[in-house]
Amino acid sequence: MRGDNSMISRRRFLLLTMAGATAIATGKAFEFREDSRDDELSKYKWGMVIDVDKCTECVKSRGGFGARPPCIEECSKANNVPPDDKYYYDLIRIYEVREREDAEPLYFPVMCQECEHPGCVQVCLTKASYKRKDGIVVVDLHRCIGCRYCMIACPYNARRFLFEDPKEKLKVVNPEAPVRKHGVVMKCEFCVWKIDREREEGKEPKPVCVEACPYNALTFGNLKDPNSEVSKILRTSKVITLRANLGTNPKVKYKL
Amino acid sequence: MGVEVPKIDFTKIEGRSKGYYVICLIWLIICVIGAYAYYLIWIHGDQLTGLNNQVPWGFGIAAVCYFIGASAGSLIVSALSGVFEKEEFKIFSRSAAFFAAAMIVAAMGAIFTDIGNPENSLNFLMHFNPTSIFSWNAFLYSSYFVVCVVYLLAQFEEKKFLTRCIAVFAVAWAVLVHSGTGGIIGFIYSNDFYHSPLTVPLFIISAIASGLGLLIPTYILTFKWTRREYDLDLFWTLTKIMGAMVIILLYCFIVEGFEKGYMPSSHEAFLRMIMSPETPVPYVYWFGQIGLMLLALAIMLSPYRKTEKGIFVASLLVAIAVFCERYTLVVPGLSYPYEIFPGYEVVKPFHIVPYFPTWEEWAIVLGLLAGVYLAYCIGIKIFAILPEKAVKVEEVSKNE
Repeated sequence: MRGDNSMISRRRFLLLTMAGATAIATGKAFEFREDSRDDELSKYKWGMVIDVDKCTECVKSRGGFGARPPCIEECSKANNVPPDDKYYYDLIRIYEVREREDAEPLYFPVMCQECEHPGCVQVCLTKASYKRKDGIVVVDLHRCIGCRYCMIACPYNARRFLFEDPKEKLKVVNPEAPVRKHGVVMKCEFCVWKIDREREEGKEPKPVCVEACPYNALTFGNLKDPNSEVSKILRTSKVITLRANLGTNPKVKYKL
Repeated sequence: MGVEVPKIDFTKIEGRSKGYYVICLIWLIICVIGAYAYYLIWIHGDQLTGLNNQVPWGFGIAAVCYFIGASAGSLIVSALSGVFEKEEFKIFSRSAAFFAAAMIVAAMGAIFTDIGNPENSLNFLMHFNPTSIFSWNAFLYSSYFVVCVVYLLAQFEEKKFLTRCIAVFAVAWAVLVHSGTGGIIGFIYSNDFYHSPLTVPLFIISAIASGLGLLIPTYILTFKWTRREYDLDLFWTLTKIMGAMVIILLYCFIVEGFEKGYMPSSHEAFLRMIMSPETPVPYVYWFGQIGLMLLALAIMLSPYRKTEKGIFVASLLVAIAVFCERYTLVVPGLSYPYEIFPGYEVVKPFHIVPYFPTWEEWAIVLGLLAGVYLAYCIGIKIFAILPEKAVKVEEVSKNE
């Protein structure tokens, strides 16, 4: 027992209390900001319709299967996705599909299907993968532990794991998009950094692939807005959903 | 019952012989090699593994399942006396519980070495996702370790009633933990090979089989090398339990196989995975999983069944076969691509991706296993967990 010496001084006590109160207040303030952002986001439900005929025309004009159309090219550049032949990190993968061997091929670009009930979010250990209020499924790189369970659970094989440091292979880095390191999982997030910015600027937001497509095959928009272009297409056209039987309810649809 | 069970003397081993140090050194060297392999992966990323974006899970996850299984199996052996009143197995109760605790640490090590971003691993504790079975397991594994340790302490303190209570709880916890592990794979609906309710009970049965498969040879060698008297009949009883588990496992494989082969959409994929030699899976499946189990059963039914060698080899075969089972549970479902476009005959790219573990993956898994055995070797030296005599207690009382 050393009496007063071991006690916390009054000044320090006051300082600590104030610091604590400030921390709680700021925490609350952040939380509050988060709430208002959520309210804003919940006005939207982003979705995409892909016109398979137009995609087919584009890929055919570029030599068929194995081509890298501008959507993939620009997506990888904008989202800091390293080029790689071994691991194929591109967030969009083009599948060639035929009814039978001698049939004309169709080309389907498959990216994250932004499911309504995403299997990846369901299984994520740390809630690093989560669905935003506007329906976009994103990966928080600072929370991802790289267990790859989400990749196992994704029915569309739409996620990529960075097996090596991407920075070495990137020619240009887009500072606006996440710059990742090895050991985390990435996916198409509808260029969330871009659409958030454009939404705040009052523009009609569009992911990079939609802008890059010379055939206008990809239509992006707010499914909650009945007057948006996507909503109009979904009202009038026949579309298909990939692996619909699983009940994941993707927000990416394919128009045939 | 009413019969007073004689007290079993648990003692430490002396552990001063040259042989003891040589064994410890061998385990240590394997551990160090494993640690070096992990260091390389830490620095260079998972490109040093045989994994890729289609097969993102492989040896590491198979090892996680295996270690947890072996842990649950050991704990059930340990609890045979406490829960099921098989007093003759009380001699194993302490060391098997110790083994279970070491195995669960190895399992957590396997998870830690498998994840790509270990710097973030504390997020396990900070962000709990109630819909993720793996997230539940992060809590279950660590609590299971605590349960194992408390159970061991209760035994050291010779608190009989408390030990029994904790034993019942520990077995229930082991079953829960391992069901959770089975659920990690069995509940994945995106993958037709994974999605099976049978996986969960299959995990429990494999757990008991692999737990015994590792414990029996370990005990035989321990008792032999520490010159302890032991009764082969005890091991024969354990081997019989293991044999029963193997028969149930084989039965489950048949059911599972026919179920996968029955649905036209998956039967081609299933047959191709277990027949076509484009990947190592058919060899692991037929020779490793089915073949070794049948061979072990054949030994258990042969005239050599009650010999030390027979029991030793059969157990070891089962231990290896269960690892092969874990491998065929994790890998083939990923090697074979998902059917994203049902109804279309031809889909490109269509790659059946073979997965071969690299030396780094082997080294990490073997290093963790060696770590368990190193812990066991040190454990039997510093804790009194081995029985003075491994013979049936009735006989002890007669002799006395």
